[in-house]
Amino acid sequence: MIKIVKRDQPSKAIFFFTPVLAIFLTLIAGGIIFYILGFKPFEALKFFFIVPIADKYGFSELLLKATPLCLIAIGLSFCFKSNNWNIGAEGQLTFGAIVSGGVALLFYDQEGFFILPIVILAGAIGGMIYASIPAILKTYFNTNEILVSLMLVYVSKLILDYLVVGPWSNPEGFNFPETRQFSDSARLPLLFEGLRIHAGIFLALAAVVISWFVFYKTYLGFQMKVSGFSLKTAKYAGYKGKKMIILVFLISGACAGLAGVGEITGPIGQLHREVSPDYGFTAIIVAFLGRLHPVGIIFASLVVAITYLGAETAQIFMQIPKYTGQVFQGMILFFLLASDYLLFFKFKLIGSKK
Amino acid sequence: MNTNLKISNVTKIYPGCVANDDVSLEFNSGKIYALLGENGAGKSTLVKILSGVVIPDEGKIYLNKNILELNSPSDAKKNDIGMVFQHFNLFETLSVFENLIIDSDEQRENLKEKIDTIMKKYNFSVDLDVPVLNLSAGQKQKVEIIRCLIRSPKVLIMDEPTSVLTEQETSELFLSLKKFSEEGILIIYITHKLKEVMQLCDEVAVMRRGKLVSVSQINNENIESLANKMVGQDLKTIKKKKENTSSEQLIKITNLNFTSEDPFETNLVDINFSLNRGECLGIAGISGNGQSELFQVLSGEIISNKNSIEFNKNFIGNLNPQERREYLMAFSPEDRLEQAAIPQMAIFENVALNNFKSSNFFNNGLINESKIKEHSKKIISEFNVNTNNIDLKSQFLSGGNLQKLIIGRELITSPDLLICFNPTWGLDVGAINYIHETLIKINEQNKSIILISTDTDELLKLSDKISVIHRGKLSKIMNAEDVTSEKLGILMGGGN
Repeated sequence: MIKIVKRDQPSKAIFFFTPVLAIFLTLIAGGIIFYILGFKPFEALKFFFIVPIADKYGFSELLLKATPLCLIAIGLSFCFKSNNWNIGAEGQLTFGAIVSGGVALLFYDQEGFFILPIVILAGAIGGMIYASIPAILKTYFNTNEILVSLMLVYVSKLILDYLVVGPWSNPEGFNFPETRQFSDSARLPLLFEGLRIHAGIFLALAAVVISWFVFYKTYLGFQMKVSGFSLKTAKYAGYKGKKMIILVFLISGACAGLAGVGEITGPIGQLHREVSPDYGFTAIIVAFLGRLHPVGIIFASLVVAITYLGAETAQIFMQIPKYTGQVFQGMILFFLLASDYLLFFKFKLIGSKK
Repeated sequence: MNTNLKISNVTKIYPGCVANDDVSLEFNSGKIYALLGENGAGKSTLVKILSGVVIPDEGKIYLNKNILELNSPSDAKKNDIGMVFQHFNLFETLSVFENLIIDSDEQRENLKEKIDTIMKKYNFSVDLDVPVLNLSAGQKQKVEIIRCLIRSPKVLIMDEPTSVLTEQETSELFLSLKKFSEEGILIIYITHKLKEVMQLCDEVAVMRRGKLVSVSQINNENIESLANKMVGQDLKTIKKKKENTSSEQLIKITNLNFTSEDPFETNLVDINFSLNRGECLGIAGISGNGQSELFQVLSGEIISNKNSIEFNKNFIGNLNPQERREYLMAFSPEDRLEQAAIPQMAIFENVALNNFKSSNFFNNGLINESKIKEHSKKIISEFNVNTNNIDLKSQFLSGGNLQKLIIGRELITSPDLLICFNPTWGLDVGAINYIHETLIKINEQNKSIILISTDTDELLKLSDKISVIHRGKLSKIMNAEDVTSEKLGILMGGGN
């Protein structure tokens, strides 16, 4: 007989094993779904997960998609580790893109090395401003940050919509809902000729290193960790719990804002209606799949980025909607949450008694 | 019709403590019964058994000679046992009416009629259409009571109902309870307030440490006799040897007030006291009378007026706990697992929570792990924490070892004053002795202690001076030699 027993302590090995298990289960479930849709499961999965990254261009696309996911997830890990549920990274990304895009548009007909740093900085500040709204409302007015940050996503998207259709739309653009192209000085440099991967990836890598350092090596990180586990303890130790909450929101907003900058000054080169295919939401899955650990987040962002690419390939080669990508993202989260059960419980074989 | 409720040989054992030890009691309708006892005496467990929340390990409950199977709260409801808990179970955003009908399967119209009759009969005035969050505590309690009355209960149990009520609301409640009793509802009233027992009840059962101590008619008792039964006469009178207490004042609290926005917290009113070096001031009281607020105000978790706290000739009322530590104060909060330590973090990380400047735990904002670990090892050996692995998560320490770690962490800086709140709560005898010895030792080193505790034995054993906190007010400070358990019991129950 198999019995389920509670673990004495959550196992460290299981902690890092369950994300792998979740991915494995997602592949199986995905195969079953493809089979039901009338495809050969292995072939379909190959189209989804292997074909898209089989060549140099595909690999560059993978890194291109993983960059914003990683950057945002790193920022979110600050919030989530300290029990602040910021789920509005998509809004912070959008607002960061609006502010940096606005700055880039100021210089649309100018060249100069100073432009790009200003544009990047503007994006980070934009994200921070937007993230500060739920943070301040939470700390001083006891509002729920989940609701506020989520609803602000739609506000930011409507602001962007208004700007690209109205005041910022390209005067020579035949009323298309988009702005002028940014000048080359406002664009992140490409890393390789002919590939879309750009210097934004260094921002993501820097975020990984900095977040690891802050969390594991600094007093600030220690205070965030303590505040996350228990605000009462933080108060008792004399830490400023409220400031800590605002700080993690600002960090997370800055990262999301930078991801926005990466998109518009990288592959897009202007503002239009859709600056992000929901990177801000998907990054929540990335953060948890990566166990809120900087290195884990790198791997998780690569895995989840494949679902974006796979969905496009599947649309082209198998004529199924690209929303399959979201189905896969949903399944990963679902199986991750389900397999986290193993963190606290284990199966035990026991001999049957007579 | 007469209702008879019988509790027969009920025992409930929790890990490490016997909450109810072979308790037998009998109640008959027409009377109001008091169930009296200190915190942790086992009243709440007994009541939870009656309301189906807790299932006893042994023993049976009979209602009118029929055995009751109480496996869930709904079983209690089905058997006409109604219960009003100390903390209300109401949906704040729903209207009063919605709250009343939410767990009923009767027709809305019938219920409306029923509620109207009840309100008229007992003179309750609550607006049925306003959301519950707009009600006062007393009105919320009325809603809870009406919710019970809808089911025409035979038994109504009230768990510490007056803790959130004003004087006026309390006397209104008593009138209603007396009326219910006259109508034949059996009333069981749980409290630790002696005055209320004398005022309201007909019979009183006293519990102490899980056991039923006595059952008697109220006419045969007075406040003193009840206090004695509640606190217990088996008090040890071992007090520490007093040698040379200095007369040098260490801390002085002047007109300290705290007003809370949370109705379940207690306001502190005009706290004044002073303490000399080498002395231990014990603060007794039944929990929920402002101890937690007093601890927070003293530790700096709640910041007060700068001049209200004078410590070592410095005014420090406006400083936070970390800043107060630099003036050589140390703190051991009541809640080991939620406040004093973080169970999910390693032992050495918990040690770093007491980050005094000279510790060098954090240099230029960076964690100095080797320093913290070195310091942790010292605490573990000096304070007999039974482990040699400082990387262990602190949740794997026993309560006693965790408390030793916390006390050690606080004392290793040799502070002038240690403020501790229920330092031995829930510990086994060995750990209690160790903590007590440690506290006596630091007194002997001419350091001072403020000991806030709900354990009267502990207070009488360790304190030089004792005061009682009741409803956020401190009684005058007494010399420990002049204090008897009887006197403490009366003061704790709000008497004079």
